[in-house]
Amino acid sequence: MSIGRDEVLHVAKLAELAVRESELHRLVDNLNRIVNYVAALDEVPADRIAEPYLAGPQSVALREDVEAAMPLARPPASMAPEFAGGFYLVPRHGAMEDQ
Amino acid sequence: MSGKVGKRESGKATARETIARLVKAEPLNAVLHWSHELLDAEAARVDAMGAPGALAAMPIALKDNIVTVEQPTTCASRILEGYVSPYNATVVDRLRAAGAMIAAKTNLDEFAMGSSTEHSAFGRVKNPHDPSRVPGGSSGGSAALVAAGVVPAALGSETGGSVRQPASFCGVVGVKPSYGRVSRYGLVAFGSSLDCVSVFGRTVDDASRVLSTISGPDPFDATTVNRPPMRVPKPLADLRGLTFGLPREYFPTDLDAGVAAALRHTADRIRQVGGEVREVSLPNSSYAVPTYYIIAPAEAAANLARYDGVRYGPGHIGSEGDIRALYRITRGEGFGEEVRRRILVGTYVLSAGYYDAYYRKAQRVRALIAEDFRQLFDAGVDLLLTPTTPTPAFKAGEKTEDPVAMYLADVFVCSMSLAGLPALSLPVGRSEGLPVGAQLVAPHFEEERMLAVAGVLEQNLDAGAEVR
Repeated sequence: MSIGRDEVLHVAKLAELAVRESELHRLVDNLNRIVNYVAALDEVPADRIAEPYLAGPQSVALREDVEAAMPLARPPASMAPEFAGGFYLVPRHGAMEDQ
Repeated sequence: MSGKVGKRESGKATARETIARLVKAEPLNAVLHWSHELLDAEAARVDAMGAPGALAAMPIALKDNIVTVEQPTTCASRILEGYVSPYNATVVDRLRAAGAMIAAKTNLDEFAMGSSTEHSAFGRVKNPHDPSRVPGGSSGGSAALVAAGVVPAALGSETGGSVRQPASFCGVVGVKPSYGRVSRYGLVAFGSSLDCVSVFGRTVDDASRVLSTISGPDPFDATTVNRPPMRVPKPLADLRGLTFGLPREYFPTDLDAGVAAALRHTADRIRQVGGEVREVSLPNSSYAVPTYYIIAPAEAAANLARYDGVRYGPGHIGSEGDIRALYRITRGEGFGEEVRRRILVGTYVLSAGYYDAYYRKAQRVRALIAEDFRQLFDAGVDLLLTPTTPTPAFKAGEKTEDPVAMYLADVFVCSMSLAGLPALSLPVGRSEGLPVGAQLVAPHFEEERMLAVAGVLEQNLDAGAEVR
C-alpha cells in the first residue's frame, strides 16, 4: 500500500491539521514507512483472529448512573475576569463591535 | 535522601536540599516547572501535618502531563504553553495526603509520544549517565531526575512502555501497574485503553511505597478497578517456589551482547536464590509493535481533537478567518512533528475504507497477544523475565530521522501495555558503563508479588557492576 501526497492532504483535512508545503514530502515518506510497517498484521492467519480486545480485566465495571458533586480545586470566580451571583459576566452583545 | 519509613524528615530541610539538587541538575533539562516558593509552601504544609504519613516529606516529581493547580501543565507542547488546570489529579491529592512534597514537573516527549524525550517543545532531556545519550521516553525527565539523585521517586505515565524503557536507560526502578489500578483523573489522555500513571523509584521500596499510596479506586475515574490499594510487599527471603518464564521471542540472536549478558546473569541469580527458570514462548510477540502503532495513534487522534484553539490552545486565527482555519492553523502550528505524524496515522487508520483493515484487525490481534500471556500464567508461570530494551541508551539524534526505528526501541515493553498487565524494569548491571534493565511481568493485580521479587533481586545483584 502506498499513500500519495493527495491522500496525506485529505487525511490532514480530516484531522484539522494545517500542513506546510515544505514538510509534505517528508510526511508522505514517514506515513508510508509507518503504514507499511504496521501492515505486518496482514500476516496473521484469519483462523487465529479472536474477538476484539476490551481494555482492562473483566472487573472494570461501569460506574453507578448517579450524579455526584465534582468539586473544583479553585473557585469558579478565580477562572474569569468577572464573576457575580453565580454567573460569569461578559460584554453586552454588540459592545465589542461598538468599540 | 528522604524517605525511610518510621523516621520523620523535616519538610523544610528536605526542600532546601531538593532545591540545591534541582539547581545542580539544570543542565539535564529534565524539569519544566519548579520554584523556591512552591517548594517552601510544600515544606510548610508537610511540617504542619499532625502525622507524618507514609511518604513523610518525600520530594516527588511529576511528569508534566499530570495536572496541578499551582503550576502549569504543558505536556511539553506549545499548544498548552501556560495552561493551568483548575483541579489537581487524584494521584497528586493522594501523594500530598501521605506527606509527600511535589518538587517539580518534568520534561517529556510532547503529549507522551516518543521513546527518547527528544520530541519535547522545550528541548531534549540528557541522560545523567552520558549527556550525549537519550534518557528514553516519554517520561525521560522523571527518569533522569531520579537517576541524578534529585528526588527519590517520580511519577510518569505509560501508554506503551514510557516508564519502563526510560527506567532501563537511566538505571532506576520503573513500575507500570495493571490497567485500572491507579486513577487517571488528571492525567492528560493519550491512548485511553492503554494509559497508566506509573512510578519511578531509586529503590524498589521507594517505588512500592509511592505505588501503594496512589493505587485504589477513584470515583472520578470509572476505569479504576474496585480493589483495595496495593499494599507495600513484605520482603521475601528467597525465590523458592516461584517459576520464571523467559520468552524466547525476547532473546533474539541480535540482542545487544551487554543486555544479553546482564539477563543471563540475572537468570543465574534467580536460580541461586531458589527460583526455577524455564524457557517459554509468546508466539504473537512480533505483532505487538505494529498493533500498538495502530491502536495508540487512533486513540491519540481522538483524544487530541480537543486542542483546537477554542477549548484549549492559543487560537491562531489565520487569514482565511473561519472556524476551520482556526482549528487547522492552531493545531498545525501548536503540535510538534511527532504528534502531528501520529494524529495523521491515527486519522488514516480510522478513516472510511481502512477502519476494518487496520483498527479492527489490531484490536483482534491485541486479544491474541493478551491470550499468550494468560496461557503462560495459567500454566504455572509466576512471572516473566525479559530484557526491558534491546540495547542500552542510544545516542541523541540516532533515531529521530526514522520513526519506525524509534518505535522499535519499545519492542519489549509494548505487549504488556496492550494486555493491561503489571510490569517493571529493574537495573541489573552495566554494559560499557551504561545501565541495563531487566523486566518482570506479572498477572493482573499481582503487583505486590512482582515488587517483592524485585526486592530480592535488588538485594542479590550489583546494578552498578559491569556485566560480561
